[in-house]
Amino acid sequence: MEPKTAPEKFIVPIGPQHPALKEPGHFEFTVEGEVVTNATARLGFVHRGMEKGAENRTWIQDLYLMERVCGICSHVHALAFALGVEKLAGVQAPPRAQAIRELVSELERIHSHLLWLGVAAHEGGFDTLFMFSWRDRETVMDLLETISGNRVNYSANVLGGVKIDISEKQADAIRKGMDFLEERTKHYLKVVTEDETFLGRTRNIGVMTFEQADFLGAIGPTGRASGVKRDVRVDSPYTAYNDFPVKLVTHTHGDLEARFIVRIQELYESYRLVRELVDKMPTGDLTVRVPRRIPEGEVISRVEAPRGELLYFLKSNGSDTPERVKVRTPSLCNWSSVLVTAVGHNLADMPMILAGIDPCFSCNDRIVTVNRKTDSTQMDWEDLRQYGIEYYK
Amino acid sequence: MNINFPPLVALLLFPGGAFLLFSGLVFEYIDRKLVARFQNRYGPRWFQPLADVVKLLAKEEIIPTGVVKSLFVALPVIALTAALTSALYVPLFGFKPVFSFQGDLIVTLYLLSMMTLCIGLAGANTEDRFSLIGATRALTQLFSYEAPFLLALLGPAIALHTWNIGEINAGAGNGLWFIIAQPIGFVVALVGLMGKLELPPFDAPEAETEIVAGAFTEYSGRGFAIFKIGRDVELVIGLTLVASFYLGGFNSPLDFLWKTLLLLFVTAALQSMFARLRIDQTVGMWWRVGVLMVLLQLVVIIIGQQFAPVVQPALQSLFGG
Amino acid sequence: MTIGSMFGDIFKSLFKKPSTEQYPFVKTEAPENLRGKLVWDPEKCTGCMLCIKDCPSNGIELLVVDKVNKKFVMRYNIDRCTFCAQCVESCRFGCIEMSDEMWELASIKKEPFEVFYGRDEDIQFLLDNAAKGETEAPC
Repeated sequence: MEPKTAPEKFIVPIGPQHPALKEPGHFEFTVEGEVVTNATARLGFVHRGMEKGAENRTWIQDLYLMERVCGICSHVHALAFALGVEKLAGVQAPPRAQAIRELVSELERIHSHLLWLGVAAHEGGFDTLFMFSWRDRETVMDLLETISGNRVNYSANVLGGVKIDISEKQADAIRKGMDFLEERTKHYLKVVTEDETFLGRTRNIGVMTFEQADFLGAIGPTGRASGVKRDVRVDSPYTAYNDFPVKLVTHTHGDLEARFIVRIQELYESYRLVRELVDKMPTGDLTVRVPRRIPEGEVISRVEAPRGELLYFLKSNGSDTPERVKVRTPSLCNWSSVLVTAVGHNLADMPMILAGIDPCFSCNDRIVTVNRKTDSTQMDWEDLRQYGIEYYK
Repeated sequence: MNINFPPLVALLLFPGGAFLLFSGLVFEYIDRKLVARFQNRYGPRWFQPLADVVKLLAKEEIIPTGVVKSLFVALPVIALTAALTSALYVPLFGFKPVFSFQGDLIVTLYLLSMMTLCIGLAGANTEDRFSLIGATRALTQLFSYEAPFLLALLGPAIALHTWNIGEINAGAGNGLWFIIAQPIGFVVALVGLMGKLELPPFDAPEAETEIVAGAFTEYSGRGFAIFKIGRDVELVIGLTLVASFYLGGFNSPLDFLWKTLLLLFVTAALQSMFARLRIDQTVGMWWRVGVLMVLLQLVVIIIGQQFAPVVQPALQSLFGG
Repeated sequence: MTIGSMFGDIFKSLFKKPSTEQYPFVKTEAPENLRGKLVWDPEKCTGCMLCIKDCPSNGIELLVVDKVNKKFVMRYNIDRCTFCAQCVESCRFGCIEMSDEMWELASIKKEPFEVFYGRDEDIQFLLDNAAKGETEAPC
């Protein structure tokens, strides 16, 4: 199970509790002097059994359970679930609901990217940028609170539409907020692309070439910074992304600086979209009726979370509870890129490389059952207990 | 101001000893508050550094397994002692140094370096991997900033033909301040001081997002508190040295206050403006830029001194002076 | 290529009031759409139980006093509520609303988190029954 390493190697453990990590994960960096020669990751500290939990609840209750998979991108999880259920039920939310869904997910992307900017700057020891970007992030948090009534779990979705409506007063507040944020973001782009000390920490650090990114399956802004032209919003538009299209932002360098640039330029794109959505919001109903019993079937629903492609697999057996809910969060796809790019860099760069993929630990922790052909690894409680005792002996 | 205190009072109460410890805490508070204000937040309340120290002193000190116990306990004390001892030779609060002799500048600088050495030893003493890396980085950084810092402080000493801090302090006020006469030296001394105190952006030895607390990771309770006070005392002494050398020396406590606080203001601004430098960047910066600049300035000073008697009459005759 | 490109920011913030909110001392008003404490109107309720069925956190219970005459009491556990407003959506008769109060959810006792909604005499009836030691009829 655990990688066996020769005793003379100097291994620096980062996590499960470490100031660089805001969530528990365990990384072992083998270092020679300051240079990292090997990296391993161990995840699964915050497995919460949500997929299993979802099977015991109704479709409607699951919507709110899934919203709590991730604390930062709560809306897209609920959105992916709702879109999947709607597809299974064969209904489509009205245009205004779709537009509001897109609006909230773009606002959420803004808040997530600004949060990441601050965290990444903090990992690089640039606390001033951290403080300022989080101060400005407060603007978009307040906007989300104003339109949805909650700062974190917006609960904008219901099956078949949205709960919230955008009034003209709220639209004005959003426009004003976007103007302020755009001005600040321009400044931050200048800081991260021109500040000499910061560039020293980001330029040519953690470089992932296009080939590597393609091979490792990097997705989201991490992949786009290496030139992987993949974005669910563009490739298979959902909600209102057909009417309000988004421009693909990519970069070719694949280093940390490119990731900063891609995320910040995505912010511009989000500001533009939010303004457009607020100006040209379609009129009409907010919800359609969705039956309580979802027809039998399977569906895959994909949305673009701030960190990359989020995939939901839903299976219904015709009752009011799902038979299987499978979540694949974007962070899971990007871990291998961290472990590959870490090798050869300084230990000092590790927190930034780790933060560079915008990791979200508790969303991606899940149990993996290895299905060997001959012997099944199914364990009962006693086996599991014994396994635990042996493992930690 | 040339007030002579009884030696015991000077050592234990004022201006050394207890008063110095408290002013260290006050300086730390001002530094933290300024950085906070630069980052658009409130920062700590006035008693926060004192409260931290009192809390830490009251706590149990955990001695981890695998350390040399006596060394573990003694190192913080030695660090603080060295910092306090160096206070005897500097014109603290504008008063005349308690002790002074020709060459006390070098002694003071070495006493100030004791702190970093102790931190390095403290880190190497424990088995903790973060401490070990922190210790390595602290000592690496010591070798990078120490030489330029020393050379930068030598500038005024050479110019004034004395290696006595008290005399330099008295002489610095006469004529042009050294900040204008030797601007490179001032910059290097100030930045070197930040490196010495491991303030951002030179906080690689205790970068919290990488190696938790560096060499202090295993320290808790009393040991950590004493290290912390030692760091604060060193902040005061370092600022005193740089201010007295480059900002025209002090004659009164008021003089001392505004000059050191001005320097503290500048260092706080510098702290909040940059991303943390990697240890290789720090070393590269000091040896590629810092040392060369200071050496260049030293050469200019020495040439100026050698040729001043020759050049000055010539210049005077040239300009009809 | 510049050094210290955040100089403008730090210089300006010296003369600006810190943007930290002094929360417990200075309280900001709740936004108008805030999803706060639930409010239930007993007059309109028909006892269809959809809200109870849909609640993801089992935060609301409808206690039946008299089913024929549509006498119900809602027991609302604020500490369990996740303020998702699904019950508001589910209710076809519009008897549930979310107010913008009670968002400072901290207490050292459990009692303030249990709220009864309904006609006064029904609540009294239920509480008296509970006091007598009779089992309630939870739904």
